[in-house]
Amino acid sequence: MIEAHSLTKRYGSKTAVDGIDFSVAAGRVTGFLGPNGAGKSTTMRMIVGLDRPTSGTVTINGVSYATFRAPLHEVGVLLDAKAVHPGRSARNHLRALAATHRIRPARVDEVIGLTGLDSVADKRVNGFSLGMGQRLGLAAALLGDPATLILDEPVNGLDPEGVMWVRQLARGLAAEGRTVFLSSHLMSEMAQTAEHLIVLGRGRVLADAPVSEILAKASDDSVLVRASDADRLNALLVDHGGVVAHVETGQLSVRGIAAPRIAELAAAAESLVIHELTPVSKSLEEAYMQLTRDEVEYPASQTRSEKR
Amino acid sequence: MSTATSLSTTNRNDLSHLGIIQSEWIKLRSLRSTWWTFAILFVITVGVGIQMSSSTSFAWLDGGLSQTGMQAAGVNAVIIGTDINVLVVSVLGVLVIASEYSTGMIRSTFTTVPQRVPALLAKSLVLAIGTFLVVALAVAITIPISIGLLAGNGIDVRLDDPHYWRAMIGSICYLVLIGLMAFGIGAILRSIAGGIAVALGLVFVAPLALGLVGGSSAPQIWLQNFVALLPFNLGRALTAHPGYADFASPGVPLQRPEGLWVLEPWQGALGLVMWVVVVFTAAIVLLKRRDA
Repeated sequence: MIEAHSLTKRYGSKTAVDGIDFSVAAGRVTGFLGPNGAGKSTTMRMIVGLDRPTSGTVTINGVSYATFRAPLHEVGVLLDAKAVHPGRSARNHLRALAATHRIRPARVDEVIGLTGLDSVADKRVNGFSLGMGQRLGLAAALLGDPATLILDEPVNGLDPEGVMWVRQLARGLAAEGRTVFLSSHLMSEMAQTAEHLIVLGRGRVLADAPVSEILAKASDDSVLVRASDADRLNALLVDHGGVVAHVETGQLSVRGIAAPRIAELAAAAESLVIHELTPVSKSLEEAYMQLTRDEVEYPASQTRSEKR
Repeated sequence: MSTATSLSTTNRNDLSHLGIIQSEWIKLRSLRSTWWTFAILFVITVGVGIQMSSSTSFAWLDGGLSQTGMQAAGVNAVIIGTDINVLVVSVLGVLVIASEYSTGMIRSTFTTVPQRVPALLAKSLVLAIGTFLVVALAVAITIPISIGLLAGNGIDVRLDDPHYWRAMIGSICYLVLIGLMAFGIGAILRSIAGGIAVALGLVFVAPLALGLVGGSSAPQIWLQNFVALLPFNLGRALTAHPGYADFASPGVPLQRPEGLWVLEPWQGALGLVMWVVVVFTAAIVLLKRRDA
């Protein structure tokens, strides 16, 4: 369980994280979604005590990270694949981390096997590809068999097989009752991995809800309509609560009224003929773009009240 | 790759100081740069010591060198390489800590040891132990060779001279302390280039530039006394032998202006320790305060 209260981080005049509240529950994969620069990494760095919050608090299982007596066993962290000295071999990197908690070398070999690094474990990290670096970061996160995992862009640079593996791993760890918190800037990735989403944009929580709910809300289907008299149809639909936008001459994009009802309304009106009626579903990515771009539609206050 | 995370083989121990020290020891010895630097330290100590021992001779001096002068010559021959090695340990000290910042490794270090200070102290401890062992070994090898070579040149160094041994041990401690000071500077600046520049500026350039000041006016004396407190000159005091004047300018009594400090070896050691303490205090305060 990770809990943030009014968590804020400012760098000079720039506010990276703007008083956010959220909680990440154990036993499910929680996705942390947002465009680059939204404040995801900064938030994760504050969770594990690398960055000091300007104000507010964040705790893991009720305490701040710095007070853990065995941090590696409590929390596994992958912040970026570059948190490694490139002159050291993967095995020595992991051994050094393991030694702090007197974790046996056998466990180091185990996580090397688990992440598929066997063939390169004794090579220096400066020759590693992005994907191998990512695997090493994941190996380090898994080293202490922690109850909480915080992974920043874990699939970044991985091949399709690696992406699949991370998804299964994240779900498997959550199914064991662990808290799994992973970030991504790709909605499609999150939709396949996470059950719950916290969407961040410009340092604020835009949404905090189950994935299905966010998709349903953000999808917000519209209908493309062409009619003999677009202006009259426009007025008619607005009267019935529709939100109408002109796409091109004679074509309207209607939201809030379903296609059959638009046809009924037009039929009931005198000499108003529908030429085209096309329901449009948004793709996941479009839904996400709308969420992160259009803060007005999903203000933080609204999502906050939905919590708990 | 598999999805099993194998809980069974994981033993669970708390973070411990011994574990952190062991971790830093693994880190130190798993980098090539460490071994290169240690090799250079060793070669300079032994090589320059041999070179100096074989070329030191006072056969030209009427009546020969006094015994304390010979002892000082023996000390000088072994530790002369120290003047170069302060450069090497300065670079090593900065590198050990600043490279963690430049590579991002520090984030792994601090998420593993979130209190941070134990990791910094453990890192400085293994640096100090490693440097001590390498330099002590090099000095131990150089001493018998040096004594043999000097004897061939008519300089009989006697080993029952406590000042001789104090200077030897002093030169080892001097390099360890300079390495620690550079480490502290690296921890403050978190940059390899900046750390090396400042460390070498303090250790080398400052005493060289300010050392040109002589004279006996009050401000000149004040400045010379200030220069005496720079790390390089504190090291000189720590490794000094009482016969040094006999050896450096035999037969000519040394004239010192009134009010000029002549530091005892223990004062030199104390001064160096103070430098380390001051730099470490600043490093620790900043370490706790700054984002990593």
